[in-house]
Amino acid sequence: MFRGNLRKFFVAGISLFTLLGGVLSPMSQAAAPINLSIWTYGNVIDPVLIAQYKKLHPNITIVAKKSDLDGNAQALRYALPSSAVPDIAAVEISYMGEFRNYTQYLTDLSTLTPGAPSLASKYLSWRWNNMVADSGQVLGVPTDVGGLAVAYRIDLFKKAGLPTAPAAVSALWPTWDKFIETGKGYVAKQKGKAFIDIAQTIYTAVVNQGAQKYYDGSGNLVYDNNPNIQAAFNYTAAASQANLGTNVAQYSPDWNVGLNKGLYATVLAPAWMLQYIKQYAPKTTGLWNIATLPGNAGNQGGSALTIPTHAAHPQEAWDFIRWYTAPAQQKFEFINNLTFPTVTSLYTDPKVGDLKDPFFNNAPIGKIYSDSVKSVQPFQLGKKDRLIDSTIGQALSRVQLGKQLPQAAWTQAMSDIRRAIN
Amino acid sequence: MSPLLEWFTGPRTGKKRRKVSRTSYIALSVFAFLSIFPLYWLFVVASNSNTEISKIPPSLVPGPNFFKELKAVYAAVPLTNALVNTAVIALIVAVCQVFFCTMAGYAYAKLAFPGKSASLVVIIGTMMLPAQLGIVVLYIMMANFFHWINDFKAIVIPSMIGAFGVFWMRQIIDAQVPNELLEAAKIDGGKNFRIYRSVVVPIILPSALVLGLFSFLGTWNDFLWPSLVLNSPKRFTIQVAVNQLNGTYTVDYALKMCGAFMATLPLLVLFVFVGRRLVTGIMDGAVKG
Amino acid sequence: MAFRSSTVAPKNRGDRWGLLYVSPFFFIFGIFGLLPILFTVYVSFFHWDPLAGHNYIGLDNFRNLFTDPYFYRAVRNTFSIFLISFVPQTILALLLANFLANPQLKFKVFWRTILLVPWVTSILSVAIIFSELFGQNYGMVNVAMHYLGLSHIGIHDVNWVGQTIPSHIAISSMIIYRNLGYASLIYLASMLAIPRDLYESASLDGASKLQQFRYVTIPQLKNTLTFMLIVGTIGGLQTFLEPLTYGGVQGGDSRQFSTLALYLYEQIIINNKFGYAAAIGVAITILTVIISGVNFLVTRRISGGES
Repeated sequence: MFRGNLRKFFVAGISLFTLLGGVLSPMSQAAAPINLSIWTYGNVIDPVLIAQYKKLHPNITIVAKKSDLDGNAQALRYALPSSAVPDIAAVEISYMGEFRNYTQYLTDLSTLTPGAPSLASKYLSWRWNNMVADSGQVLGVPTDVGGLAVAYRIDLFKKAGLPTAPAAVSALWPTWDKFIETGKGYVAKQKGKAFIDIAQTIYTAVVNQGAQKYYDGSGNLVYDNNPNIQAAFNYTAAASQANLGTNVAQYSPDWNVGLNKGLYATVLAPAWMLQYIKQYAPKTTGLWNIATLPGNAGNQGGSALTIPTHAAHPQEAWDFIRWYTAPAQQKFEFINNLTFPTVTSLYTDPKVGDLKDPFFNNAPIGKIYSDSVKSVQPFQLGKKDRLIDSTIGQALSRVQLGKQLPQAAWTQAMSDIRRAIN
Repeated sequence: MSPLLEWFTGPRTGKKRRKVSRTSYIALSVFAFLSIFPLYWLFVVASNSNTEISKIPPSLVPGPNFFKELKAVYAAVPLTNALVNTAVIALIVAVCQVFFCTMAGYAYAKLAFPGKSASLVVIIGTMMLPAQLGIVVLYIMMANFFHWINDFKAIVIPSMIGAFGVFWMRQIIDAQVPNELLEAAKIDGGKNFRIYRSVVVPIILPSALVLGLFSFLGTWNDFLWPSLVLNSPKRFTIQVAVNQLNGTYTVDYALKMCGAFMATLPLLVLFVFVGRRLVTGIMDGAVKG
Repeated sequence: MAFRSSTVAPKNRGDRWGLLYVSPFFFIFGIFGLLPILFTVYVSFFHWDPLAGHNYIGLDNFRNLFTDPYFYRAVRNTFSIFLISFVPQTILALLLANFLANPQLKFKVFWRTILLVPWVTSILSVAIIFSELFGQNYGMVNVAMHYLGLSHIGIHDVNWVGQTIPSHIAISSMIIYRNLGYASLIYLASMLAIPRDLYESASLDGASKLQQFRYVTIPQLKNTLTFMLIVGTIGGLQTFLEPLTYGGVQGGDSRQFSTLALYLYEQIIINNKFGYAAAIGVAITILTVIISGVNFLVTRRISGGES
């Protein structure tokens, strides 16, 4: 009898539970359909991951709009004050200096649930801080980081009598002086061939190795007397004048041709560029290896995801951002697209840290790039970063083309910047 | 035979029907080849793998990958949607432009109204302000006042009239519609709109159609404004859609050129169907005039 | 004999009807055409940042503009590109229109439509193609020049991006390429409208072919030529997409192909100085007005006034 009662009790209990569950479940039921809009550029948002997210959240449709880097920033500038904003906006590293100040127009992710600070420790700290405002608001979460290493052609090094094993090659250039020296030696032996694809890439590499870039810790402009900036400029100018680089524009058809024909012995490559080389010069497989950068620390490129203040669906946007930048997804992106993660725990994950690619002679890509990004010192980003980058870039091009001597080009760049900033 | 053409193509030879000189055909062929070659090249790049474009000498023969790239394009953007959107918008804009600009051009050419000269100067003057500025201001207006962001209205309504169109139709009507004809029609007791409809319009119709064609093509190719104003992929016009095919710092040429090719193809189809009509129309209009 | 433009109807009727015909135009134009321009002029007196606010600075933008060497370089570049593109384009367009106007021409529709293909090919693709053609190391233009033996007179491996005039030539050829078909069509439409009896009577009067061209064709094309010159000048002063897609928003390492409109755009995008951009816009407009006025007077004189 007891058993019978127990069973009844059991059944009643379950029925009650189910009933209660039914009453309470509208909270956890499939919610109303939502369109989540993202403004992005290039490959920051991977459609494959978007499709995955849709499977997890069938009611959320992600609507992405792509522009080019500058166009995206410009559109944001004019849209942010109004309600015609996306739910999520991607910001590139050259613009982070500017957008990290828009505390009025970008949501402070610390105020959302769960608050951003609870995630901070997962990420590369200097990348995380890129989008933290002076007054502490967290305005964005980093997606990927470029890192920087030297991809070199084994066959060309051999022809020039240089060592070909990565350790030996890395030992050739612990400093930029040695890098340029190696380059000069190469060019002397291999007349007509360039040591590096584009000398101007040296500038970006050196600049990102400093403790300061264009602004100091208090937000003052220091571009004109920062010794690291001048060193970066001088190294690049020296490389140009020694004919170490060519005149092509990066990613132009001419540049692609050079890759395929083996016209450059080295390319300063962020992780994502390796994918590009694989795609555009597939016949060069096995001819490359990867050495460390002079000074090891390096970065080129990277993005962050933000939520405009007037976004229609901030919570869903935040859910998506947290998912997209979560370790699992960043791992996926690295394995499939070689975009290097900002989640530090992944650096010791075997799938990431030990990733080897036969295209690059099984170089330990994961290890090299994690070392590179971990060594980067945090420096202050500021509003006019992009402008100063572009203007100095122009000056370096003039030096490369032989139009101006380095000193004159530097002086002109300084006056151009001053004029443009005011 | 017009002496103007004789000047370029050689003297009359008696009463024989004149042939078109060989030079004409050669010159036209050269231009035709140069005109079509880039489109062909687009197709070549689109149908080969990305390494082809990096080869020297570049490949001049189409490869096997076109449909593979097309699939990739469709995966990246709703291409058909974009084409339909653009076609509809361009058609509406073209019709409106022809309608409103012809009417306004007629007024400027043949009618009097207060402020006529001054306003014409203003209109032509506004053509002189660079479009890039207008875009920013228009965007601010659309975002904060009209709330037409991501709405096709933002593209269609500002384009329903154009200073170019009015100026062009004014010149055409001025040149092709003799005042005597209008006077005669008036004496015959015609009311103003009837005169417009039955005298003026038939004469300038070919040129009006050319304006419509240019309007259509201009809207089809417009990139800067739609890319600023349209946010949902389903609403993109074709140029915005093709622009989605960029990489972050790099360009996937095969993909992009495939998109660009698909953006141009419908126009070629349009030419095949409408071209004959349009050109015949121009010829007829010319003979009548 | 030529058709004069004049008012036709008696004043009262004309006034009412005239206004009716232009009112839809004025309405839309007022809101979307005129208003933005007035606002732009307004902005030119401010330091304007869309997100950081704006403050009134009076004529400072214009003062800076007058002392801005890059503005003047942009002016020079714009003129250079305009001349290199407009003159050949007009000559070629007239030539082509002439070939196309021949009633005996076979496959008329084919020729006429195929010439429009460049205009409908997206500018982005045209830019990539021309960048390839004018590539310094492997571009077909340099290869062809080498093949033609031009290296013997010192022309080889021309840098069509880095050097000033070569970059103008490359960009101008892009412009000519895109516009030739449409220009030919416009001239063709007007050429076909010239009544044949004008030529016949002139010929009967003993005029030579050259005289007929000068005294019959050109005056008949007067409206079209004026139109094309004015529109061409306006377009030329606003040259923007071609240099942008060819070499980026800064117009090259020394701003060798930075045109006025490109320089303006750079202020908006890179420098984030909307007020200064507006001032440049005002300057471009004034410049265009002056030059269009000059054009108009010149073409009026050349065609001999009302003949």
